[in-house]
Amino acid sequence: MHDIERRAFVKGAAMGALAFTVGGAEVLLTPAAARAQGVPLRTLTAAQAATLEALGETLVPGARQAGISHFVDQQLSIPAEEALLEARILNVRPPYANFYRAALGAIDRASQALNNGRPFVELSEAEQRSFVDNMRQNKVEGWQGPAGPFVYLVLRSDAVDVVYGTMDGYAALGIPYMPHIAPSKRW
Amino acid sequence: MANERVDAVIVGAGASGSVFAAVLAKAGKKVVVLEQGPDWQLADLISSDFWGRRIKPASVPFLREGKNPYGYVFNAGWGVGGAALHYFANFPRLLPNDFKIKSEHGRALDWPISYGDVAPYYDKVAQDVGVSGDAKAEEIWRPVGAPYPMPPMKTFRNGEIWLKGFEAAGIRMVPAAVAMNSVDYKGRAACIHDGWCHVGCPTGALANPLVTYLGDAKKAGAEVRALSTVTRVLSNAQGAKVTGVEYYDAKKERQVQEASVVVLAAWAAQNPRLLFNSATEKHAKGLANSSGLVGKYVMAHFASGTWALFDEDVQNHRGTTGAQFMSYDRYGKTSHKGSFGSTFIVAGSALKTSDLGGFANARLDLFGPDLAAFMKRAARGLTRINAFGEALPNIENRIEPVSDKDEFGMPLAKIVHTYDQDALALWNANFTEGLEIAKATGAKEVWSGRGNMPTIHLMGGTIMGTHAGDSVTNSYGQTHEIQNLYIAGPGIFATAGASNPTYTILALSLRGAEHLAANWSTVAG
Repeated sequence: MHDIERRAFVKGAAMGALAFTVGGAEVLLTPAAARAQGVPLRTLTAAQAATLEALGETLVPGARQAGISHFVDQQLSIPAEEALLEARILNVRPPYANFYRAALGAIDRASQALNNGRPFVELSEAEQRSFVDNMRQNKVEGWQGPAGPFVYLVLRSDAVDVVYGTMDGYAALGIPYMPHIAPSKRW
Repeated sequence: MANERVDAVIVGAGASGSVFAAVLAKAGKKVVVLEQGPDWQLADLISSDFWGRRIKPASVPFLREGKNPYGYVFNAGWGVGGAALHYFANFPRLLPNDFKIKSEHGRALDWPISYGDVAPYYDKVAQDVGVSGDAKAEEIWRPVGAPYPMPPMKTFRNGEIWLKGFEAAGIRMVPAAVAMNSVDYKGRAACIHDGWCHVGCPTGALANPLVTYLGDAKKAGAEVRALSTVTRVLSNAQGAKVTGVEYYDAKKERQVQEASVVVLAAWAAQNPRLLFNSATEKHAKGLANSSGLVGKYVMAHFASGTWALFDEDVQNHRGTTGAQFMSYDRYGKTSHKGSFGSTFIVAGSALKTSDLGGFANARLDLFGPDLAAFMKRAARGLTRINAFGEALPNIENRIEPVSDKDEFGMPLAKIVHTYDQDALALWNANFTEGLEIAKATGAKEVWSGRGNMPTIHLMGGTIMGTHAGDSVTNSYGQTHEIQNLYIAGPGIFATAGASNPTYTILALSLRGAEHLAANWSTVAG
């Protein structure tokens, strides 16, 4: 699709929901629905997505089921100017996939180095919490990658977005959403 | 490919460019506005933190350096309406003491104009865009002016609950002046207090450019070309006049737009970048830069946020993103011992869950079940005040071109920014006072919103002054060196004050545009 036509598409029909590819066709889904339907990933590897899910769930309970990996994966597959990621606001330089790959790689490398070869996804919940707490404070030994506290900030924001930033997330907290223009599909 | 020559080409369809476009178009001039980003409409402004990020920049033409790197994307604009499409519409003025810091304190810079020169334009802008507030109440701090056209906005418990704390600290709070409709105004509906201002207000209650000056400009015949990226200002062989701009259109094809007058209103960082890239044999260091001051003296605001958590439901989802109450009681440059600079205080902001200002970030240290528990409590009882601080102009804080280039071959630039010790001391003093205020409210928990020292708004870089040796423009935004080249926006501020800048941006732009229209034949020649 030509850039300008694509932009028009995004400004119009797809506004308020994300376009995922299912059976060769683009359909509008929430990330949670995309995960539930097993929509194939576009950008992340299965291992990266698993790390992101585990990390997201550690950061914000519910992020896994809310589809954090499908959200980030879909967002990394579209032009940066269409992206909804907090990374955009935090001055991450496009393409954003570079940052996510570096961040997820740093997490697994550090986890393996500190835990007898076990990647983050294989750690116990307590170990995952401890790892994240150290990452937050830039205290992970041998960390190599984007600064740990910044990785924490960006990925925590993604998890917050999918769990608490949606209309369903507001409803779960008992907060009236009160939109002027509501996102479609409550997302 | 050449386009039909016009009277004025304006680079940037944000707050300042919109004012110039409206004034010149109404004066009968043929005006073209070139905007790098999309042609946003009100219907694009979805009430959602993450959908709201689409109206901010994604590409990064600026590298960030210094001890306090400027975090620009969250408060920058991209597309028609610019940053004023998602601003909070807090409308405090600068005060008389902002214009004479060097004269009164032997520090920083003086503006070449006084508060009295700008005040009539504050009053005009208030009528043009619609401001709600209590001007009489503000006059304990500033000279008398015209009343605002609308009464103050409705207040909510998340703002009112702070008043006891401010009273205990001896700080007077008055209704915040905001560019929002407390009642229907000029065919635009009154605000319904749903707190989505920060992602763009589609109702027209908040005075963004689409429903104010840019709308007026279009009605008067101005043409807005979106997805048009200006890369150079063109000048004649003698270097005495500018002749138009080079830009790349939506198909990324090179275009030239000739004009009698060029107005750069592309943001405080982008205007210097364009001036640097417009260098010629006659202007080897960039246009309007014989003094070497283009890009110098960039300034940011910082905020000391204080949080309070109450047991009662403070309805923190109600109101506006900006403020319900404000105070200049700490606006004197020496208000806090051991520091220097003004402080502007606000209370009562509607809160959302996510994004930078969302309440998940009120306790950035929390994650997992602790965060989940906090979110439940915060949804009911969390509220915040903010004290905005002034950083003085420092010539080392600057914008410079770098060797990397963008897709059009235009060099990127870097923003080098470091706060001085006075700013740091003021930031800390405002945290200390914020906690005292919060404790006096009787809140269950109070804490400071500390993190990296924030960089909010961007001012300077093309400052105004009296001559080419001390500045880039005169007080109208007209460059000293090229009479038909103007710069609009916060880049021409000589000092930053502590007030949110947009009201002053509009007032200075109106003053500059009216002066240009009145002196058109001399300027455009």
